[in-house]
Amino acid sequence: MIRLENLSVAFDGTEVVKHVNLELREGEILGVVGESGSGKSVTALTLMGLVADTARITTGRILFGDVVLLEAGKERDKALYSRFQGEKMSMVFQEPQTSLNPTWRVGRQVEEVLKLHTDLAVLERRKKVLETFRAVGLKDAERIYGSYPHQLSGGQRQRVMIAMAVILHPALIVADEPTTALDVTVQSQIIALLREINEKQKNAMLFITHDLNLARRLCSRIAVMKDGQVVEQGETEEIFSHPVQAYTRKLIEAVPSRMKPRKRTGKLSQEETGNGMQEGAVSATPVLEVRNLSVYYRDGDNSLFARKKPQRVVEDASFVVYPGESLGLVGESGCGKTSLSRAILGMNRNIQGQILHHSQGPQMVFQDPYSSLNPARTIGWLLQEPLRAAGVRDPRHRMTKGDMEAAAYDMLHRIGMEEKFFHRKPSQLSGGQRQRVSIGQALITHPSFLVADEPVSALDVTIQAQIMELMQGLQQEMGLSYLFISHDIHVVYQMCDRIMIMKDGKILEMGVTEEIYRTPREEYTKLLLCHS
Amino acid sequence: MGTDTELGAHTEAEKDMAVMPGAETGMELHREAESDTAKEPGAGRQAKWNKYLAAGLMMTGISLALGILGLFWTPYSTTAMSAAEKFQAPSLRHFFGTDNFGRDIFSRVMQGLGTTVVVSSLVVAVSGTAGILLGAFTGYFGGLLDEVVMRITDAVNGFPSILLTLVIISLLGSGKWNVVLSLGIVFTPSFVRIVRSEFLRLRDADYIRRARLMGVGRLRILFVHILPNVFSVFWVSVMIGFNNAILAESGMSYLGIGVQPPDASLGKMLSDAQGYLQNAPWYACTPGLTIVWLVLGFSLLGEGIRRRGE
Repeated sequence: MIRLENLSVAFDGTEVVKHVNLELREGEILGVVGESGSGKSVTALTLMGLVADTARITTGRILFGDVVLLEAGKERDKALYSRFQGEKMSMVFQEPQTSLNPTWRVGRQVEEVLKLHTDLAVLERRKKVLETFRAVGLKDAERIYGSYPHQLSGGQRQRVMIAMAVILHPALIVADEPTTALDVTVQSQIIALLREINEKQKNAMLFITHDLNLARRLCSRIAVMKDGQVVEQGETEEIFSHPVQAYTRKLIEAVPSRMKPRKRTGKLSQEETGNGMQEGAVSATPVLEVRNLSVYYRDGDNSLFARKKPQRVVEDASFVVYPGESLGLVGESGCGKTSLSRAILGMNRNIQGQILHHSQGPQMVFQDPYSSLNPARTIGWLLQEPLRAAGVRDPRHRMTKGDMEAAAYDMLHRIGMEEKFFHRKPSQLSGGQRQRVSIGQALITHPSFLVADEPVSALDVTIQAQIMELMQGLQQEMGLSYLFISHDIHVVYQMCDRIMIMKDGKILEMGVTEEIYRTPREEYTKLLLCHS
Repeated sequence: MGTDTELGAHTEAEKDMAVMPGAETGMELHREAESDTAKEPGAGRQAKWNKYLAAGLMMTGISLALGILGLFWTPYSTTAMSAAEKFQAPSLRHFFGTDNFGRDIFSRVMQGLGTTVVVSSLVVAVSGTAGILLGAFTGYFGGLLDEVVMRITDAVNGFPSILLTLVIISLLGSGKWNVVLSLGIVFTPSFVRIVRSEFLRLRDADYIRRARLMGVGRLRILFVHILPNVFSVFWVSVMIGFNNAILAESGMSYLGIGVQPPDASLGKMLSDAQGYLQNAPWYACTPGLTIVWLVLGFSLLGEGIRRRGE
């Protein structure tokens, strides 16, 4: 029904989509999988006619049924597209926050679609919107209709976006990473909803994602993209069981999964992990003890007239981290895991309870590699800064310039980077390289405890796997303990000896990784496990 | 996923990938990613050179050179009068012609330019330094200090700037140094605001949090970690501040409350020339156009810096 024939798209003479052939049959869900920069979003936007005006179609064409939507060498026919957009094809974006107008009630925004494309009367329109809201699983449709976007949760907003996309029963729905910004439990609800819509309305769906597991759960066929090209295309199970291309194989292998055997990295012996639940039963001195910790959050901490009503974000947390082990902390967004980690490192002092560090200068690695390195400085300078700071604080740790430089070069090797990066600035590095430097910067003073707050969440899967490998290697080399925070239960499974499950500020469950996965006690843990 | 990351990096990313097998594939390498041949970090910057910057540097460079030269040497004496050469039109002998006393206008413009440049540099230096110090501390630490300083800057901003300078001048008396002081005070709030908002923004940046965690001292965080990241915004406001200072100084001299004779001043020349606009238009035009040239130069320079920073 929809065919992309030999499509190439270029920006400023650089082709970002190269000779892509895709075919979408009626009622079919096609997954387009690839890492960032693979050209999957540009392909989708070109298909929708939403790509920036600076993009040029250099070869090929797009066919919608018998109609040629786009052809190389021709201007985009805006009139033709405006007839197709909304009515025959619609799109769901990644970011539900920015896709809805914050000053309009959501009901009115969805109604606007009907106003533009149908001649229904006011009351009929309203009825239709409410109907669609119910169909996409928004239970309290009347209330949602009159709400502003900020009054809805992320999942509700994405449902509203989906309602907007399906209300006209378009023949094609393009979903560009529709669940990436959502928590796992919500994510699987949205996936279920998309499948249900597809079954009911029989529309073709182009599902774009970086997450192979998601594509596997939803799509009947999958196309794998790399550097603007479709490297492999076929039935989903076929691709997973017999990937032909080396890249596809690499991609599938890189996906963290609890189906795969796990490398044991921690130094903890089996008896000790067996007793992991009962603190104090273990002989080794822990590197960190947390006792009955509650963390509070205050709005406008630094303003004179701000209201000072603290809010409790972490409730009564108690745990220990032993030398050489990785303790995983899993939870959905807003559950307090970041607040907990900040409190542990003394970045939030509104706490009750006890935090006992038995290690020197614990460090932290943050999620966003793009904001965790000072853009004004070179990598070499950044790696040396912790040493300089240590020297200022304690003259015994003062090092000569040459020693510091040598230590920085040594760390550069350890984090698997070449010496030439020493004089580069962070802006000249890729995300994975930046995360390596972050880790190096944290480890250069040889701390024995490191808090890693979603260190791989912002990275592509293949790079994610490399960073996890690096962290495991360094753990063995330097005898580190990690508190490893993640929303991704697969990543935690690969990385951690023990895990804690957190929800609404409380630690629900804690135990040895394999045991939790095999026999989860709490309902919520089961929910998390079955949704991912 | 931003389209931004999707666009740039292909050819360069591939080059990088080929050369560094150990590191990960440069999938999301940024647009600035340079090829491996460029070793020194400065190499990437050359691409950011732009026409605004070139034109601005050229225009301000000429004026600064002439102005500074004018403080020490001028083709003719700026005070020697000559009844025989009254109201000479511009010629090769007198580039900008002569005035009602037969003085060479080009020489006087050079000297006036020098005065203007010195005064406005000092004004920007005073207010910029005060702005960085106050902005850094208020933005980073917040709290009571912030509240007090910001309310004072609000109060200063509340007065029309010309009125405030008039008040200060009438208290201190006119003269070059008092002009610097009064304009310095008047211009400080705008610098404080800009610097403060940048420090406020960067205070909670991940890399600053990490610097704190590494035990870097507060002053070092302020001036070694944060300040360099503020410069790109700061230099633009310095250029705007320069322009405002030039205009304010000229305006004050025009009103007779600025630089006093025998120091030449572009504003003073403008007001002197008023009476002769009909028969000696060059007398008013040349200092006027010089001001325009200088201000335009700094505007272009500011725009150039802003674009380069992007």
